[in-house]
Amino acid sequence: MPGFDFSNYNRNAALHARGVPLPKATSTGTTIVGCIFEGGVVIAADTRATSGPIVADKNCEKLHYISPNIWCAGAGTAADTEFTTALISSQLELHSLSTGRKPRVVTCMTMLKQHLFRYQGHIGAYLVVAGVDPTGTHLFTVHAHGSTDKLPYVTMGSGSLAAMSVFETQWKPQLTQDEAVALCSEAIQSGIFNDLGSGSNVDVAIITDKKTTLKRNYIKPNERVPKLKSYIFKRGTTAVLNEKIIRKEDLGNFVSVHELAVEETGDKMEVDA
Amino acid sequence: MAMFSQNPLMNGPNYSFSDAPKTSAPEGSREHRFDPYTDNGGSTLAIAGADFAIMAGDTRLTSGYSINSRHHPKVFKIGGTTADQHDATIVLSVVGFAADGEALKERLDSICKMYRYRHGKPMSVKACAQRLSTILYQKRFFPYYAYAILGGLDEAGKGAVYSYDPVGSYEREQCRAGGAAASLIMPFLDNQVNFKNQYVPGSGEGHALQERERRPLSRNEVEILVKDAFDGAVERHIEVGDGLQMMVITSNGVEEILLPLKKD
Amino acid sequence: MEFGNSGCLSEDGIHVDMDRLKKGEVNLGTSIMAVTFKDGVILGADSRTTTGAYIANRVTDKLTRVNDTIWCCRSGSAADTQAVADIVQYQLGLFAMMNGKPPTTQTAVSIFQDICYANKDRLSAGLIVAGWDERHGGQVYSIPLGGSLHKQSYAIGGSGSTYIYGFCDANWKEGMEEEDAVNFVKEALKEAIKWDGSSGGVIRMVVLTEKGADRHLYLPDTEYQVRHE
Repeated sequence: MPGFDFSNYNRNAALHARGVPLPKATSTGTTIVGCIFEGGVVIAADTRATSGPIVADKNCEKLHYISPNIWCAGAGTAADTEFTTALISSQLELHSLSTGRKPRVVTCMTMLKQHLFRYQGHIGAYLVVAGVDPTGTHLFTVHAHGSTDKLPYVTMGSGSLAAMSVFETQWKPQLTQDEAVALCSEAIQSGIFNDLGSGSNVDVAIITDKKTTLKRNYIKPNERVPKLKSYIFKRGTTAVLNEKIIRKEDLGNFVSVHELAVEETGDKMEVDA
Repeated sequence: MAMFSQNPLMNGPNYSFSDAPKTSAPEGSREHRFDPYTDNGGSTLAIAGADFAIMAGDTRLTSGYSINSRHHPKVFKIGGTTADQHDATIVLSVVGFAADGEALKERLDSICKMYRYRHGKPMSVKACAQRLSTILYQKRFFPYYAYAILGGLDEAGKGAVYSYDPVGSYEREQCRAGGAAASLIMPFLDNQVNFKNQYVPGSGEGHALQERERRPLSRNEVEILVKDAFDGAVERHIEVGDGLQMMVITSNGVEEILLPLKKD
Repeated sequence: MEFGNSGCLSEDGIHVDMDRLKKGEVNLGTSIMAVTFKDGVILGADSRTTTGAYIANRVTDKLTRVNDTIWCCRSGSAADTQAVADIVQYQLGLFAMMNGKPPTTQTAVSIFQDICYANKDRLSAGLIVAGWDERHGGQVYSIPLGGSLHKQSYAIGGSGSTYIYGFCDANWKEGMEEEDAVNFVKEALKEAIKWDGSSGGVIRMVVLTEKGADRHLYLPDTEYQVRHE
């Protein structure tokens, strides 16, 4: 079993008592939703991560992999959603290997709620769990304190009220896959535009008994507006106060160097032309 | 952030049967008390040019994670002869608590109008700036929670920008950003308006480098800087967005420009 | 502060501490009840779950099965009551397998009480447990906040129950027919939902008799008159 390191607990408690502020965790003041349709389930999320009023990440991923047929949308403290889903994903795979059966959504939900209940809400993970398993299609919400709900359509995060208002006016039983995807992305957009904690793009995951489709940046309603002028400085604009050059061939004197093949991974950083 | 809010007192009994336990609330005090201020977010910006001044502000009004309005102006014409302010020459921008900003604007406007009525001439920006400082300091112990910037043309026809703190300390400046995204916009302004941290390439070594010479920016250049500053702020500050309101003060009067900003 | 350090004895000697619900916790500000009748017991509940002023779930099932004919009504913290019910369900399942026969209501209630009493400083769970077994027929037990146990002919609980003490006292009859008992529960919950802001949604019921568990559902669309499902 995993464990947290409490070695700085007493020091931090003492510091806090003397008025030292606690570090700010990145929270995903989020809109996440899920909706069941005929033959599967779809979950969706916005892509904004915030630290207080500042946007920490404009295009983060809030849809987490649990198993090929189970996915999770996370709201709350970013690190907690990330690690909790990774931990349960790992345990579920081992469980699946030892039983020789496909992982079930209820199993995942039960493991999550028992883990979160044990930490009495201190792990700030608010999750939408969705998946298709041999027993059928399932959709749950799991709150940080460990309570769960089972519903045909769900929303969580700071934008949950905006998103739920979409579901409560437009949802109907027996949706088709396309209708469910449209409804979920509509709900996320309602969060993006009406909730300050949510923003940027819409991510969607569609799970059926056949396959799972992850549609990263399914809708991009908030492309950055191009700057009106170029802010490139003439070379030499920045003052150089002192200079020391270490040539590549001399680098070996300071550190051990291993040449690696360059591979393109992840998003490229946005840079002005 | 439940993660960090554990309290060292937890190892005591979680509740007691003592007589007066509800008195002290160590953290996140639960007692009800009068709290008259709200932060309604948003940002403002003012730049003075050679013969003009530009005052700008976004038009989003927020409280917490909610948007109360997507079009709530923060920049106002002040001291015209009529309510529509068609002949106004001074512009005031306010951010912080919207209700106080509104009250401050109304107060300054009526004072300017009284001045015009009594003296038969409009107030100068310099006089108006001093008067605004007085208004703010009068409420030293129950302040207007508003960061004000006043803009206009001075006696010589040069662009003038005066910035204030909530209790009336003020200063004439070349440019100023106020409100939620001030800390994001101000460094940009320092660099692009006053050319801070920019040196003439090849003019020397290290500290001997020659600073890039300042030159007055044209109206068009300033308008571009304002738009780009807000587009940048919108990307990284959640309380800024929806619309950009610009007031351009020239000797021909005040021109108002409305531009769209991102709405997420 | 995650846990309330406050708490006091009110004038009537009942310990009151509304701070015990942890910050931002999902709450079952509920109307729940269980009654005995001629052939067994009936459990009933509203379906509202709240986080502050927001209704997190408007069709919650607060009637939870811990064994075929032993069920409980949950009020208080959703997380705490679900955790307790899950443990009891597991224990009773084990009990049934070990002994080759279903547990009695008393067995279930005893496990419930053990957990609620041992963890009284950590739980905000107000439970009503009701069941039918071959030895004792229908029985209703109430386990309020501190973990005490009360056998009753009928029990009401949750924030909405305060509004229906008078109604229940005036209309209660021992050994009712099933139809009358269902009506009694329904009418009582209708009043609780009407007056209590934290209660609402649909009325759920489960009738436990020799024949097993029979679920009822009544919707506000039809003034809770028509039985659905």
